[in-house]
Amino acid sequence: MPEGKLTLLGKIVVVLLIVGCGYLAYYFLVQKKTDDPSATDPGSKQAQSNQFSGNAVEIGLAYGTEKKSWLEWAVREFAKTPDGKKIKINLIPKGSQEGAQALLSGDKSINAWSPASSLYKEIFVQDWQVKYSNNPILKEESLALTPMVFVMWNERYQAFIQKYKTLNFTTISQALQEKGGWNAISNKPEWGLFKLGHTHPGKSNSGLMTLVLMAYDFGGKTRGLALKDILNVDFQNWMLKLEQGVNGLSDSTGTLMREMVLKGPSSYDAVFVYESVAIDFLKSAEGRWGELHIIYPKENMWSENPYYIIDAPWSTKEQRAAAEVFLNFLLTEPIQKESLKHGFRPANTTVPVIFAESPFTAYQRYGLQIEPGSTSEPPSAEVVNNLLAIWQRNQGGR
Amino acid sequence: MSAMLIQPACKSEQQSAATSNGQQAAPPGSLELVFTYGSEKEAWIKDVTTQFNNSGQKSSSGKKIFVTAIPMGSGDAIDEVLLGRRQSHIVSPASAAFIKIGNAQSRTKSGKDLVSSTDTLMLSPVVVAMWKPMAEALGWGKKPLGWSDILALARNEQGWGAFGKQQWGSFKFGHTHPEFSNSGLISLLAEVYAATGKVSGLTLADVNKPTTASYLEGIEQAVVHYGSSTGFFNTKMLSNGPEYLSAAVLYESNVIESYSNQYNLPFPVVAIYPKEGTFWSDHPIGIVEREWVTAEHREAAKTYIKFLLDRPQQEKTLTYGFHPGDVNIPLTSPIDLAHGVDPREPKTTLEVPSVEVMDAIINLWRVKKKHSNIVLVFDTSGSMKENSKMPNAKLGAEQLVSLLDSSDFLSILPFSSSPSWAARDLPVGSGREEATRTIESFFPTGGTALYDSIGVAYQALLDSPKAKSISAIIVLTDGADTDSRSSLNDLLNRIRFDSEKHTIRVFTIGYGTDAVKDVLKSIADATQAKFYEGTTQNIQSVFKEISTFF
Repeated sequence: MPEGKLTLLGKIVVVLLIVGCGYLAYYFLVQKKTDDPSATDPGSKQAQSNQFSGNAVEIGLAYGTEKKSWLEWAVREFAKTPDGKKIKINLIPKGSQEGAQALLSGDKSINAWSPASSLYKEIFVQDWQVKYSNNPILKEESLALTPMVFVMWNERYQAFIQKYKTLNFTTISQALQEKGGWNAISNKPEWGLFKLGHTHPGKSNSGLMTLVLMAYDFGGKTRGLALKDILNVDFQNWMLKLEQGVNGLSDSTGTLMREMVLKGPSSYDAVFVYESVAIDFLKSAEGRWGELHIIYPKENMWSENPYYIIDAPWSTKEQRAAAEVFLNFLLTEPIQKESLKHGFRPANTTVPVIFAESPFTAYQRYGLQIEPGSTSEPPSAEVVNNLLAIWQRNQGGR
Repeated sequence: MSAMLIQPACKSEQQSAATSNGQQAAPPGSLELVFTYGSEKEAWIKDVTTQFNNSGQKSSSGKKIFVTAIPMGSGDAIDEVLLGRRQSHIVSPASAAFIKIGNAQSRTKSGKDLVSSTDTLMLSPVVVAMWKPMAEALGWGKKPLGWSDILALARNEQGWGAFGKQQWGSFKFGHTHPEFSNSGLISLLAEVYAATGKVSGLTLADVNKPTTASYLEGIEQAVVHYGSSTGFFNTKMLSNGPEYLSAAVLYESNVIESYSNQYNLPFPVVAIYPKEGTFWSDHPIGIVEREWVTAEHREAAKTYIKFLLDRPQQEKTLTYGFHPGDVNIPLTSPIDLAHGVDPREPKTTLEVPSVEVMDAIINLWRVKKKHSNIVLVFDTSGSMKENSKMPNAKLGAEQLVSLLDSSDFLSILPFSSSPSWAARDLPVGSGREEATRTIESFFPTGGTALYDSIGVAYQALLDSPKAKSISAIIVLTDGADTDSRSSLNDLLNRIRFDSEKHTIRVFTIGYGTDAVKDVLKSIADATQAKFYEGTTQNIQSVFKEISTFF
């Protein structure tokens, strides 16, 4: 489907988004392990949760759709609490770029914002300061973590593995270029052509992560992705051929995964999405088109779902306080534990990941793993910018 | 989909939908939500909305929420709000593509979206619906079928005889008008994809290949007539049987619906999921971003949408033959083989092509479609003087002339106490202006020789048949027959439809309050066409709807 081209601001924003997000997640996951866990434990925040003493108030939370099920559940649970009787939470689904633009254009319905990844913040803060001369973020916390995964219909995954032995961007590229599609892959002409989906790299964080991980896959490295790797003609030709076979280009990861489950293998054989989104749909897929299988790329990147309380001129003191009350509620153990059911790895590190009902225990047969492979080093802004520019130039207005 | 394609989409569907709506008015003191939606899901929406309106849900200020749900074409549902013609609070077209186009147009105009976020209510794939014995003759149930099989059958001069079924006659195919209806457009896109062997990345070069044109023409020549809405086509196929249509492009939900008790069918209908690929209709719903939607409306709209997405209502979508938008509801009966459909299908879906490519496909279709040979039988009796009937009827007829294709033929037979030809076999391409001038020259006088005039027009079409064309008569009259020598029964016996020799359809418009509706309806029904009630207000829409058959 035709999509608008990225503006310069949009490009800068997504570049900063991926770089910032990557660095934060990289730091959070790789560096933090060496720190004293109690020092940065989000779980300790719950101690600050005092009963809300203000009048009845309503706040808007703009959020990435990948957290839809979990946040909707959390809002319902919150409504049952004494604070929830006074504080009404309006969930407003917005993509990362879309959320920032809404705030910058003065959307008064938003008092807090939780995009998929953290440091979209930097460019947002700069733009905000030009307009309002203050730091827009009163407070921030990570809500939940998730890596990227391939999701494929199990029946087709087995057929794929039979032919290519392993599933990565290289073998997917081969499958996309098979002229006879599934007929050539597995003697199944009725399955049509091989179909891969990922989100729009200019509009969705996971789409841009896809391009970066493709580059790592092609280069066979885990760190130090450099401009020369991106400008390599062989890489460019390979990436563009692969991308020509990509379907759809949805604006949001949740929408892409939902579409795979709603429309079945007729729309996508495989998608590249957040692990959390994949887990959230594993059971429902079985009732529709059959079992799914999760496959981790050798090199991965993380999203950590930050929650920002916005220092907006339209937010009252009570709304700001209410946004913090809800944040603290989201970080409490029962809510964090529920995030596991929706496929997230809790940001509150006091919450255990391995227990009987945890998807990471129960869903191992779908390919789910605790260790998602090694974490790639986020490339520089220059590399990401060039990667996006190369992709954009060859999409013909897609 | 292009704006060009959406703009005219389903104007006439709205017409029929609005008159058939018949919903009660919002009670005094309630908060009314206007909800305009694609008519494909009308039965479900009516069911659950009645339930919602009776549930006593209150708005934030304590008013009772009342939803006025209005079915219409998906293009109209978007256009009406974009143009501010209708102040809807909630919209739900048949496909997310309509929301995308609407938002793009809205951003160009006002810098903001028309609908900022949506949920999927339900889904249904587009299929070729065929009578089961016919589908089985093609190999249904034993091998994948597709557009290539439809093409081979359409091209075979023996028709069903090639499958040892001479008694079934020729292959009769139908899909809606691609400029008015979603499923008609999808039919063309799918035919072109099938011609090229692609499932995505369709280019202008693909459309311009001679083999593509030949493929499209081959299938389109089997088309009996086009039409304005998928629902209407479905009803025609089911009520008139296999002698009328062998197959039509419908939604999977229509096939399932055909198994309900309301139809007494000679055979079951089954769905063919074209092996070359098809499209999904995915019914997004969202709140309109316009100034007339107050915070209270928005809140109430969320309550209603949540109600539609709640499990009991979502489970009901299954009973109406749709795939629920709630992914947690497993696909069960009636989405099964016992209802003519396969829950494992479709296997391949197609990418919506670019605007340029879609425009090129429509243009190709205009050249390669089945063309029409039409007689306009126009009442110029003295009573047409009253209430500005004549000038409005002329405007309607002129609109029909403007909507016909250049390759169509038009004859004009005005009548009062007797018929008198004003134009014969005008090629529309070169004769459009002449036809318009002719219509403008009419003035009211004399009596009404209705039956004789229709008889003359019918005989003229029988005497000068145009090969491979849709032959039809459009009759506009405002009163009872006063001057004919032949009786109504004589006429009905002469024009009664059979699938091989008497295939000319007579569309009738009863114009104004004095028209004899029963008579006009019996004439339309005898020829398997359609009767319309015309007024000075709606006559242009009526002519427009009739134009969608050609």
